[in-house]
Order: sequence, then structure tokens, then C-alpha cells
Amino acid sequence: MAEAAEPTTAQGGADTGPAPRAKRAPAKTAAAAAGTSTRAPRTRTTAAKPRQSTRTKTETAAAGAAPTVVLEAPKPVETRPTVLTISGVQKRYGDTVAVDGVTLDIAEGSFYGIVGPNGAGKTTTLSIITGLLRPDAGRVVVHGVDVWAEPVRAKHIIGVLPDKLRLFDRLTGAQFLRYAGTLRGLSAKTVRARTGDLAAAFGIEDALDRLVADYSAGMTKKIALAAAMIHSPRLLVLDEPFESVDPVSAANIIDILQRYTAAGGTVVVSSHGMDMIQRVCDSVAIIVRGQVLASGTIDEVRGEQTLEERFVDLAGGRKAAEGMEWLHSFSD
Amino acid sequence: MGNAFRRSPWQIFGLVIGLLYGGFITVLVVGSLVAARLVPDVAATHSVLVVIGSVVLAGFALLPLLFGVDDTLDPREFALFGIPNRSLATGLLLAGLLGIPSLVLIICAATTVVTWSQNPGTVLVALICAVVVVLTCVLASRVTTAIAHSMLSTRRSREAGGVIGILLLVLIGPVLLLLVTVDWGRDGLGALGGAAGWLAWTPLGAMWSAPGAAAQGDWGAAVLQLIIALVTLGLLWLGWTALVAYVVASPEREQRSKDYHGLGWFDRLPGGPTAAIAGRSMTYWGRDARYWVSIVLIPVIPVAVVVALALAGLPWHFIVLVPLPLVCLFLGWSIHNDLAYDSTAIWLHLVSGTRGMADRAGRMFPPVVVGIPVLVVGSIATTIVFGDWAVLPSVAALSGAILVIGLGLSSISSALFPYPATKPGDSAFTQPQTSGASAALVQSLSFFAILILASPVLVFLVLGITVNAFWLAIAPVAAVLIGFATLFFGIWLGGRVFDRRGPEIMAFANRND
Repeated sequence: MAEAAEPTTAQGGADTGPAPRAKRAPAKTAAAAAGTSTRAPRTRTTAAKPRQSTRTKTETAAAGAAPTVVLEAPKPVETRPTVLTISGVQKRYGDTVAVDGVTLDIAEGSFYGIVGPNGAGKTTTLSIITGLLRPDAGRVVVHGVDVWAEPVRAKHIIGVLPDKLRLFDRLTGAQFLRYAGTLRGLSAKTVRARTGDLAAAFGIEDALDRLVADYSAGMTKKIALAAAMIHSPRLLVLDEPFESVDPVSAANIIDILQRYTAAGGTVVVSSHGMDMIQRVCDSVAIIVRGQVLASGTIDEVRGEQTLEERFVDLAGGRKAAEGMEWLHSFSD
Repeated sequence: MGNAFRRSPWQIFGLVIGLLYGGFITVLVVGSLVAARLVPDVAATHSVLVVIGSVVLAGFALLPLLFGVDDTLDPREFALFGIPNRSLATGLLLAGLLGIPSLVLIICAATTVVTWSQNPGTVLVALICAVVVVLTCVLASRVTTAIAHSMLSTRRSREAGGVIGILLLVLIGPVLLLLVTVDWGRDGLGALGGAAGWLAWTPLGAMWSAPGAAAQGDWGAAVLQLIIALVTLGLLWLGWTALVAYVVASPEREQRSKDYHGLGWFDRLPGGPTAAIAGRSMTYWGRDARYWVSIVLIPVIPVAVVVALALAGLPWHFIVLVPLPLVCLFLGWSIHNDLAYDSTAIWLHLVSGTRGMADRAGRMFPPVVVGIPVLVVGSIATTIVFGDWAVLPSVAALSGAILVIGLGLSSISSALFPYPATKPGDSAFTQPQTSGASAALVQSLSFFAILILASPVLVFLVLGITVNAFWLAIAPVAAVLIGFATLFFGIWLGGRVFDRRGPEIMAFANRND
């Protein structure tokens, strides 16, 4: 639903997208991969117009290869197929409701940000998507596969970077990537080739022969991110990927992720860095106390304000800083 | 300690057990100390007290090096509060007086005054010494804890500390053997007296010895030993204040890391997920101190059992049959909580959709690799010592069956009933706070289930040796049937449980991290 409403009006006339859509329904994953990789970059509603000609071209080209999508939400005219559908997901721990009926549709090729204050249920939601946490109610469908009905197939499509979970840190970086790759079913040869590429891309070549336990926080994040990507998943679910990563590396990672979305991959990130989200994501959902308070393209959600201002409004507003006068009478 | 009551029920349970145990020890020690007052042989009491006292002080000083790296009273924790060094040092020392070991020590040290209450002079010396004893012990433990904390703060040195601890554990066996063989009735007191005479002049024993020397009328020695004790205490205090001042103002030690080359076991074991998990397990058995403890303990336990059986007077001929099956039992059992050792890192297996069977089978690799040579060498050695080659097949079969049954059952229990284990990177000797009853239950259940399943083979073996050699031929057949049936059923069921309970396993790991 993030992309649904507005792109229709913006592109409905020029885009031939909707017509070949009918053909896309029965499709194989391999063909889909080929098709979506030629797909146009993510489109922000405001930026869509200038790119429309190229977009139309690639769209038509892609249509032949027939990308696969089983649409869950009945959106009659949608420009990009939905790759991740979360509907009515609930999770409670005892009396506290961590996730209260979250419903989101995330379109293929989008860079989707999930923001919320501490303890809002971001990590819980992402854990449910990745199959680490069983929801009390609701459904998660990834690229036509129900995560909780066919977990093994669904998990193959997703690459995961969890937050605050340990890694197998007695392995060296190279061993860790080999382990992650092999568990994902890759051959040793493929893993070796991709390990080199990933290490170069993330700037961790020097660290591959050291134990992950000896890495800094930022490096640990990078090796985990590399492990999340090693099997070229269709969807990347990244929990706080930029935390404790230095700005240069963060820019690097963003670059990698943007090229990935341009090729048709989908990224879902959670963060509490609003600037970052506003800068790199095309769509965003604001989750507060387990509920989605706003979702859509960045511009839809923020309106006239910055994303941060809009977020603070939704999250309950600024607390009036009164009653702390003693703080201003310094003790020495 | 008051805070200790505001925790989970199991922690309170642990604390109560600790208090009861401490109380029991206190009553025992106080009783013997009071009784010692009535013993006419003052010299004997003196030597016993000096030796035991020295061991206690050594214990206070050394145990933190092995166990207590996690220290809430580390001076560095207080660095940001800006407390003057001297009052911080005093405060931490006083805080060290609270806690079960210190309370037990205070009461016991106070009772030594009763032991040496021959005349006012000895009471005075004993009183001074009791205070010195308490302060010295607590200071010594604070100093070594602080040193341990700053020296062992890096992962690698902490693991080195773990290795030292393991070596000490290995040494316990021979020492016990030695202690058991000493004829205490005849020359025990003589040996003690010799040790005491020597210890009394060291900082370890001086403070325990001074009142005893005074009670025996040797006032010159008493005064000199008192001076040694006071100087020791003074030096420790100076050391402690200096350490506090240093620790508060210095950053934690940085560690250098080491380079490894190649992929190690991952290259040696080419193949799919099962091979990768096997390679990872092998790497962990080699690199993770938590696994070393079990590897080292496995040969130590049979030695202890053999000693016990020999003391009980069983014929040597039969005792030789015991160690090998016992080693196999513990080897198979060693992975019964393997999943919990991964802690939250298990997410990688879950999100990659790893098949439970691959996970289960891969984890069995290290015990199998260790087990096969142990089995071959062990059963040949056992047979040679036993002296009859006819038992070779059934001894090998019994041990092999125990190992394989153990692996099969462990693969079920580790997926179905994981219980909190020492976290990755923690000292191998720290136990998780909430182990409690579930751990004991799972441990004993999984352990005895192995024995029960292996019992037919055992019965056939015993029948073969005692009744008719025909049973020796049955034992291997039964072993193969029961063993492999259990193994494959274990892998299958364990795998199924792993596939089904992924989120629950993750929740378990999160709860205990």
C-alpha cells in the first residue's frame, strides 16, 4: 500500500506497466530473477516523471521475462509487484502487546524504512518476518511464499541482519562467510568467489583471517551484513544496519544497497536515525507502540515537515522540559 | 547481599543453598575450634590450624583468578563517580566483608580466640590475629580480583586463565590419590607438623600461627610471627590502595588479535550444510574453552571412579572393564546441551532454513572423531589388561553402543530441552545464574536414559563373562541393533524437533543471553 495510491495517478497515463501484468502471474523464480534484475530503479513519486521513458522501456522488456508475483492485497492498479506482505501481525508477551496488528505491503525494488521509538516493536516485527519469532496472529508472505507455512522456501528468499544477537564469533571472518554461505546451500567455489567480492565491497579484506570475536562493533555489523547478502536473496531484512558503523562505511553500504534495489532487490531497514531514513529510503512506515501510524512514500508520510518532525508528532510529541530547574543551577 | 533477595526464585534458591552450606561449614568449624580448646595436645591443634588456615588464605587469594572475573566491586566501575581513592579503597574493602565466604571466615576467625583462650595474653594475641586474618583474606581476594579483572579483561588472557584452571582440575586427580594413600593415623600429624613449621614463618601461615605459638609459651616466635602478619597486612593495604588509584585512572587493556590462515575444518570437510556444521563444531571444540573443560573432564572422571572402586575392594580384573564404557558414556553425553552453547548465534541456522537433521548430524562429528580412536585403542588396551581376547568384540560393542546411543539421545535432548549454559566468551567455570532444577533434571534424565538403553548389551557382556561365553557373541549384535536404531531415531526426531521449534529455541536463547 506504500506505493499503491500515488504512483497510479502519476504514471497511469504514460506507463504501460499495467497491461503486461496479466502475463506475469505464472512464473518461475529463475525467470523472475532475470526479469527483475533489469528492472528500473525505485521511483519516488516526485522524481518519477523524468524517468518515465526509461522506466516504460525496461518495464516492457521485463514483461517478456515474466517476473513472478502473487498479489496478496487486491490493489487493482499497482506499478510494482508486492514482494512482502505483512497482514494483521500480532505478538504479545504476557500483558504487553509488542506488535498490534501491523499490516504493510512492500513493493519490489523499494528501499523501505521502518522507524519508531525504542521498544516500539520494530525488532519484533522484523523477527516475525524472518521466521525467528512466531506471531500470535497474522500472516507474512514473501514473494508468494507464506513464511510460517513454508518456512524453508521463504527463508531462502530472505537475507537477514539481526540486531543484538551473537554471531558464531570463534570463526574467522572468512570461515563465518563460508559457514553462512554453505548453510544457504552455496557451493564452496561460489562462496569463495563471493567472499572476495563482499570483503572488497565492505572493506574488510584485512580482517578475514581474524576471529569475529576480535572485531570492532562496526566490523561485526559489516561481516554480518555480508553474510546476509551472500546467497543473493530477493529481500534483505536489516535491523539497525548502520548502528556503530562509521560514516564512510555507512555511505559505502548505502551505495551497495541502492544498487541492489535498482536491480530489483528489496531492502527493509529499521532505524531510529531519521535523517538516514529520509535520505536513503523511498518509503517508510512509522511504528509506535506496535502499531503502524503512518506508511507510504517518504513524501507522503512527511508532508510539509521533515520526517523527524512528523515522527516526533506521531510518537507523542515532545515532552515539555519543565521541572528540571535544578539542572541549571550547577553544583560547583 | 540484600539485593540478592530481590531476584528470581532460582537465584534465591541458590543463595539459600549457599547460606545453608556456609552455615553448615561454620557450625562444623566453630564446633571443632571450640573442641580443640579442650584437646591437651596444643602442638597438634597448632599445626592443623596453621595448615588449614594457610589453605584458606591461599583460596581467598587464588580462587578469584580462576572464577571471579565478573566483579561488581571492580574499582574501575566507580571511576566516574569521583570518589577519593582512599575512601574508595576502604569502602570496597568493607563491602568485601559482606558475602557468604567472608561471613563464614569472620565467625570462624572469631572462634579461634576461644581455641587459644589459655590466658589473657594469648587471648589478646588471638584477638589481634583474628582481625588480621579477616582483613588479610578479604584484602588478598580484592587485590587478586582487581588484578584478574585488569589482566584478564581481554578474551585471550581470560581463556588462558581457563586453561590454567583446567590444568589444576587435571592435577586434582593425582593429588586426591596421594592424599588417599597417606596413612593418616600413623604419619599424618607428623607430615602436618612439618608443613606447619614451615608455613608458620610465611605470610600465609604467620597470622594463624602466632596465637598457637603464644599458647605453647613460645612468646618470641609469637611476636615475630605477629610482626610478619602485620607487615603482610600493611603491604597488602598499600598494594590495594595503589591498585585502586591505578585502576581508576587507567583504561581497560586493549588486546592484540591473531591471524588465522585458511578455512581450517571447513576446507577439510567439503560438502553441504551438514559438513559445514561439523566443521564449525570441530572449530569450536578446538577454540572455545567451554568445550575444553568437558574434554579434559572426560578422562578425569573414570580415574576417580576406578580409584573409588579399587578402594571399595573390587578385584582389579573387573575394574579394568569400567573406564572405556565410562569415557564413551560421557563423550556421547557431552553434546546433550550443545544447542545452548551457541546462545543467540543460532539465529543463523534458523534464518537460513537449515534442516534440523543436518544440524543434529553435524554436531555429532567432534565426539565421533574423538570417539573412534578412543574406542579402538581403548578396547584393545582393556582386553590386554583383562587378559582374555574373547571379550574384545563385546567390550568394543558395549562402548560403541554407549557412545552411539548417547549421541542419539543427546541430539533429541539438546533440541527439545536446552537448558542455560555458560555464555560464549564467559569463563568456562562460571555457571549461568538460572541453571536450577530444569538443568539437573535434563542432565540426569539424558544420562540415565543412555544407561537404560545400553543395559541389555551390558547384561549380555556380564552374562558372557560370568555364565557362558555364548552371550559374548550376542552382545555385539544387540549393540549394533540398539545403537544404530537409537542414533538414527535420535537424528530424525531431534531434526524434526529442531525444524518445528525454531522460534522457541530462539526465544530460549534470547531469554538466557
